[in-house]
Amino acid sequence: MAILQVLHYPDPRLRNTAAPVDKVDGEVGQLVDDMFQTMYEAPGIGLAAIQVNVPRRVIVIDISNDRSEPLCFINPVVTRRDGLEVMEEGCLSVPGIYDEVERANEIEVQALDRNGKPFTMTASGLLGVCIQHEIDHLDGKLFVDYLSEVKRGRIRKKMEKLRRQTL
Amino acid sequence: MAEPLHARALAATTLHEIVQRGRSLSDILPESIQRLADPAERSLLQELCYGVLRNYFRLDAIAALRLHRPIKRKDDDVRLLVLVGLYQLEAMRVAAHAAVSLSVAACDELGKSWAKGLVNAILRNHQREAPVLPDRDELKFNHPGWLIDRLKSDWPDHWSDILDANNARAPMALRVNHRKVLRADYQRQLEEKHIQSHASAIAGEALVLMSPVDVLQLPAFEQGHVSVQDVGAQLAASVLEAKSGERILDACAAPGGKAAHLLETVSGEIELDALDIDPRRLTRVRDNLERLGLRARCLQGDAGEPPSWWDGVPYDRILLDAPCSASGVIRRHPDIKLLRRAEDIDALAERQSKLLDALWPLLKPGGLLVYATCSVFKRENELPLIDFLEKHDGSEQKIDAEWGRACTVGRQIFPGEDEMDGFYYARIIKRPSSS
Repeated sequence: MAILQVLHYPDPRLRNTAAPVDKVDGEVGQLVDDMFQTMYEAPGIGLAAIQVNVPRRVIVIDISNDRSEPLCFINPVVTRRDGLEVMEEGCLSVPGIYDEVERANEIEVQALDRNGKPFTMTASGLLGVCIQHEIDHLDGKLFVDYLSEVKRGRIRKKMEKLRRQTL
Repeated sequence: MAEPLHARALAATTLHEIVQRGRSLSDILPESIQRLADPAERSLLQELCYGVLRNYFRLDAIAALRLHRPIKRKDDDVRLLVLVGLYQLEAMRVAAHAAVSLSVAACDELGKSWAKGLVNAILRNHQREAPVLPDRDELKFNHPGWLIDRLKSDWPDHWSDILDANNARAPMALRVNHRKVLRADYQRQLEEKHIQSHASAIAGEALVLMSPVDVLQLPAFEQGHVSVQDVGAQLAASVLEAKSGERILDACAAPGGKAAHLLETVSGEIELDALDIDPRRLTRVRDNLERLGLRARCLQGDAGEPPSWWDGVPYDRILLDAPCSASGVIRRHPDIKLLRRAEDIDALAERQSKLLDALWPLLKPGGLLVYATCSVFKRENELPLIDFLEKHDGSEQKIDAEWGRACTVGRQIFPGEDEMDGFYYARIIKRPSSS
């Protein structure tokens, strides 16, 4: 297993659209393992493959406090959305920024698990928000896109400055 | 997705808003608490904010000792995170390794991952060796020097007790609405819900809780049977002694606790004007009165400019609960120690004198003006009144009471005394013959 490097906003590679996984093979299994390790190390509660510069439709999530509920979604598709809720979100690709985003309050999602087996799940609350946040990544979308242009500009400047400082 | 924010990082950003932007704790803390979902994290956030502010001067000195270079203004949240970490090591029963590692992890949440090594080094250093701090009152009493000096000169025998009381936790006190329920009966209702309290010997409607609870846990709170109010603040009604049929002005009424108390306790009907300059805070007066089932005429206006709101009919009694430094309620608002400046006191005293001058003509001959503040500084209390009495046709009517201590004019309560906040009350009566 390996800890992968997480891309930071405004890296243009975060804007790519991820391609579906044709076959869940050993290589995908390795990617999933590395993504879990990277996410736990960060620490985060969700990570999309595109954030570690692998433009494929793979996400990992664990919202538990003790790493006890690992979830893997391959080729996820939201099949139902109900209601609206506002929650404060943060993103491993936009470190140190937290803001409120409005999303569906409950969703139904279909995907393949890490063995390639299809499953359907309903999710609400933090888990529901996290799944929607990660699926957005697969389509090149970030949570800051939901914020006002002024806010996004300020965040972009801050991130660019941070990158210059750490280089 | 990043983990939701945790209490430690949020404590640092909350304190940053207070220290850098001058926002008050009571203004910003509710917003910050909202951002946390977990009740345990919420109470930790509250404990960290109050704790760091109560111990600010000492913690800041320790941090300065360990920080070899001063931190940039825009990174002051990192310094405040260090104070949050130090407070946990110094005062809280948090396992030291957790206090250090969770404070270090909070750097990521602040977007300041570069500071992890710095925060880690300072906190570990602190664990290894106790800091040697200069022997200064500021650090010993955790108050700004100017405030200590002022108290020393105002209260040479009591200044250190006042400072200690300011750093202690204040009890939650209730005011039972006697129009709806008697104190003894309400106390029994609390007991049934396992909320322990005792009746105050000083204020007839006051109950002091053994430990604070959420207001919504209080029986019939929404129905207006009870309000949250410090015992010291509950003395205004008895000092004013309003009588049935009188016309009364509460000149700085928001949030309306004292006005409501007047209406709850007066036998018969009074005509009460509740004035406040801030329309938003006046809404809180209306809400409070409505919840309690009470009626007053709510007026928005500046007490210092009566022509803009006064209808010309004089008052039998006026309560001037004047804007002040709030130096008597530091135990509930520890941010005052950072937000208030030495030079504010003269400006406040000037404003207080102006309010007295502006309201005096509105009082009927023979009428009574009660001047109150939640300050412990003579400059805001007896000094403006001594000045006032020299210029106007009024005289002091002494308050005959068990609480507090008599001053040249008025009575002073120190914070912590009989569980009260620090308050000052004085009564000035207008000469009957003059107008």
